[in-house]
Formats: sequence, C-alpha cells, structure tokens
Amino acid sequence: MRYAILLLGAPYSHQASHSALRFAHALLARGHSLDAVFFYHDGVQNAARLAAPPQDERHVVDEWIALHAEHGTSLEVCIAAALRRGLLDEREAARHGKSGHSIDAPFELTGLGQLIDLGQRCDRLITFAP
Amino acid sequence: MLLHVLNRSPATSRVYQQALTMMGEEDRLLLVEDGVQGALPQMVRHFGEVQGRLFALEEDLASRGLLGRCDASVQVVDVDGFVLLTEQAERTMSWY
Amino acid sequence: MTSHFSSDLLVILRHGPHGSSLLRDGLDAALVAAAFGQRVSLLFMGEGVMALVDDQQPDPLGQKGTSATIEMLSMYDIEAILVEQTALELFGLTPDELMLPVRLLTGATLSTLPTSHRLVLTF
Repeated sequence: MRYAILLLGAPYSHQASHSALRFAHALLARGHSLDAVFFYHDGVQNAARLAAPPQDERHVVDEWIALHAEHGTSLEVCIAAALRRGLLDEREAARHGKSGHSIDAPFELTGLGQLIDLGQRCDRLITFAP
Repeated sequence: MLLHVLNRSPATSRVYQQALTMMGEEDRLLLVEDGVQGALPQMVRHFGEVQGRLFALEEDLASRGLLGRCDASVQVVDVDGFVLLTEQAERTMSWY
Repeated sequence: MTSHFSSDLLVILRHGPHGSSLLRDGLDAALVAAAFGQRVSLLFMGEGVMALVDDQQPDPLGQKGTSATIEMLSMYDIEAILVEQTALELFGLTPDELMLPVRLLTGATLSTLPTSHRLVLTF
C-alpha cells in the first residue's frame, strides 16, 4: 500500500517524531511504500538544518534525511507554518533578506495543497501529533 | 472499520471521550505514547464500551514500565502490529 | 443519514481560538481543500465550539484571530458546518450565540461521519 504521514509535533518536545519514524520504518519493512512525510504545525521543526542534539540522543533531522535517501520518501514542509517559525530555505531566506537559511534539501517547502493531494493519492494517511 | 489512535492519558485529558464518541461499532482503538496509561487496570474502565477492540502499543508500554502492568483485556501490539492495524482499517484517525 | 453529509474531506476542529494555532491550521487545511474543489465538512467538537462564539475581539491580544475566516466560510463553498451538540451544552452555549448557522449533531450521527468522508483530518 501507499502510505503518507502527517507530522504535527516538534522533535525533542514531543514523542510524535520518534513515533512517526518508528512507524515509517515498520511500514517499509512490511513492503509498503511511504510516498511522503508532510510536516505541519510544530512538525516543521523536524526540518531544522541547524539542529544539534547531544551525541547520545537520536538525531531526528538526520534520520528523516536517511529515510529519504534509502526509500525516496519526499519530505514536504508546509511553507506557511515554516516561515512563521524561522524555517527558511535559501530561496526564501534571500527573498526575506535573511543572512542564513535553516532548511536544506531533501526537505522541500510546499503548500497545504500537497497535504490534500497526499490524502487523496495515498491509501493511508497517518497523523502523528504532539 | 476505522482505527482510532489516542496519545493522551485519560487521567489528564478528556480527548479519549471524543475518540469514543466518533467510534463506530466495529472500530478499534489503539493507545500510544501517554495514551498507554489508559491500559492500566485502574484506568481501563474508561474504555469499557470498546472492550475487545482496545489495543496498546508495546514499545510505549515497555518504555514506561507498564508492559507487565497492562490489563488483561487490552491487546498489546508492537509497531508491526500497529502497521497491520492500519492495513486492516479503512482509515486511521488520530486523537491528541 | 450517512449520505446526507457525504463528502471528500472531514476536518474535525477540537481546539479553541488563540490558545494554540491548531484551530487556524485546521481551518487553513479546510480552506485549501475547498479551493482545490473538494467538498469539505467542518465538525466543531469539544473545545472547538469556542471557535464559533460570537463577539470575539482579536484586538486585545494583537493576535490574528480565526473569527473573520469562520464568518467567510460560505464564500469558500464550505456549507457543511457541523457542531457536536453536547459540546455546546458543556459550555452552556446556545446556537443563537454562535456567529453563523450550524447543524447540531449527537452521538449516533457523529459516529457515521468518519466513514462517509474519503479523508478525515483531526486538529
């Protein structure tokens, strides 16, 4: 089956990111595909390029990137929720006159229409919330 | 049949009542994260109306020291079982 | 009863205005879906009914509220505005205290909603 995940929780504040990552690997191991993870609400913090957790803790951002690299899952970040919270890619940083950017590929800034599209296109959409 | 996923403890949040309100007669309820506190024998009474359709996530129970303390009426599933439940359900609704 | 509300997307709003952005985020998802031509139902549940209370004043907080958006829902072709009746009663509110006409639903009808929509999002 084709799955998509909607993630609303920020890493390290709530369990949602860890739950979603575990679920993602489990569904892939069962032979399903994971089209995309859509990051919305505080979930956009999962895309923070500058996250630097202590070495004895899991690096959630890097784990999403690894998931993309291994399985081609697209990592879609709601642009409206991200910009409000200071998460900008290079293009948006330039557009807003900021000196640095805080989101990199493979995370992509995108609109809410993508979430609706995923909901219609995939067989299953599972929400992980704070 | 739908799968409802609850991540709030019935001790602190009435959200579980919303899940129960929206559940159809065949629907299943999976307790995850802090929601697994609801699987304790003293708490499971909140879910009396869905007995036999109540599940709890093993990893969340184990990490909280609750695996051995779970009520016998609750079906414990690991994350593979979670995926299986989502396969079997037409769709999944999250309550938080 | 089921077919009565049958639609593409059900968005369940369970949070009041101002305290968090979940109400706004849920409304935004509903508006985008409607703009994409989807038939959208909104269900205000639990604390979510506070979103509908009339006489909301955003100015004291300097926060962008949600009431202006909610008042314009019909312009977005969102006609199915459903409210959990017991939630209204919980707060001692009556339908005439709400900013727009709604359809009140109780237990048995509520539980048919998720299966009569192709996609359900809870906020």
